[in-house]
Amino acid sequence: MRKRFGRGVWPWRRHVEVLKGADLEVRAGELVGLVGENGSGKSTLMQIVVGLLARDGGEVDRPARLGYCPQSPMLWEKLTVDEHFALFARAYRLDEPTAEHASEGLLGELQFARYRGYRVEDLSGGTRQKLNLALALMHEPELLLLDEPYAGFDWETYVRFWEMSARRRDSGMGILIVSHLLAERDRLDRVYTLSDGRTSVT
Amino acid sequence: MSTFALAGGSFVREHLRARLTLAMLVLIPVFFVVIFASVLGQFAKALGGTMAGEATSAISAGWAAAFLCGALAFFQVSSSRGADRRLAAAGLGALHVALARIAAAIVLGIVVSAVAFLTLLVRSGIAHPAHAAAAILAFALVYVGVGALIGSLVAGPLEGSLLVVLVFAVDVFSGPSMTSSGGVLSYGPSRDAATLLIAAGTGHGSPGGDWLAVAASVLVALTVALGAFWLAARSRA
Repeated sequence: MRKRFGRGVWPWRRHVEVLKGADLEVRAGELVGLVGENGSGKSTLMQIVVGLLARDGGEVDRPARLGYCPQSPMLWEKLTVDEHFALFARAYRLDEPTAEHASEGLLGELQFARYRGYRVEDLSGGTRQKLNLALALMHEPELLLLDEPYAGFDWETYVRFWEMSARRRDSGMGILIVSHLLAERDRLDRVYTLSDGRTSVT
Repeated sequence: MSTFALAGGSFVREHLRARLTLAMLVLIPVFFVVIFASVLGQFAKALGGTMAGEATSAISAGWAAAFLCGALAFFQVSSSRGADRRLAAAGLGALHVALARIAAAIVLGIVVSAVAFLTLLVRSGIAHPAHAAAAILAFALVYVGVGALIGSLVAGPLEGSLLVVLVFAVDVFSGPSMTSSGGVLSYGPSRDAATLLIAAGTGHGSPGGDWLAVAASVLVALTVALGAFWLAARSRA
């Protein structure tokens, strides 16, 4: 994968090459990590895989059912947790009983059911992150892409997050976790390091 | 409930839940119709225009609706860009998100116009209420296009809102009966709506050509807004 960004206006416009041949693979039933320093291009690579950002070169082969948990929660401040579930259930084309079952399950699993009537603006950073994660999971994607997913989690939620990830990996979901700090390397099947625009398996 | 109604309803609630927005919905029309209108005639006179009397009250209601709708449409794009894009990429599609956004903007435009119209009615009454209501709504919908377009081009909330104010100010002070000079500035986005509203305010009807011009400017504005909402929600891949 190759990607460069333009900065400034002509004639002072300069290009920064962020990805110079990054390459990674996540198979079904794998839990894979991607690490790299701040600004190394991890989130750029993730957005290209999701389809939110155009690439300058390379190929992406992704399954139809994709889950994406962005680094900063992309949520509507004035809408409630339940309203977010309703909108994303519709986007994922889930019928009502399936959507209700999925949201109930995730609210219980991540232990934030008491906030379902709260607006996002009234949630703590950790609870926003739980909603951010739950929205990526509610349609049981074939491939789950998590960009710094546990930022703001307390210790108990952090532990629960890894248990949830392991359960889903065991049921056949492919999961990619992107982080600048990945302490749980022993839980992962493979770890890629992104440095100078290229990935290497470590 | 259809997807369109669910998303559109959510986007309307998103704005009406902001207490400050609700306060502005009442305060801005009152400020424009009660205070701004009283000095508008002097502004027009200084600029060489002929605006005076009931026309100033009427047009102030239109500008209140325009200002509020321009600002709301700008923030619809700028503050929700990330979430809208995520929803579109999740499977709703950029066009559906954009259609829901435009529906929400029209509903908000109707609410804003109703408040501005009622303020005008209570303050000074109006000879042609139906014409005035339609012209105020036209002001609002034209500025949905202005606000959404600026929102799609300018990411920063400060820069974008300043640009909305700049366009609005130029449009206001170069509108019909406000200046003696013609030129490019006299073709502001709300010109046709202003012609209609001034006529309604002074107790005159408007010829069919004026109505057609207003309908055309509203159609263009809403098409621009739809494009802007689509641009904001689409994936870059």
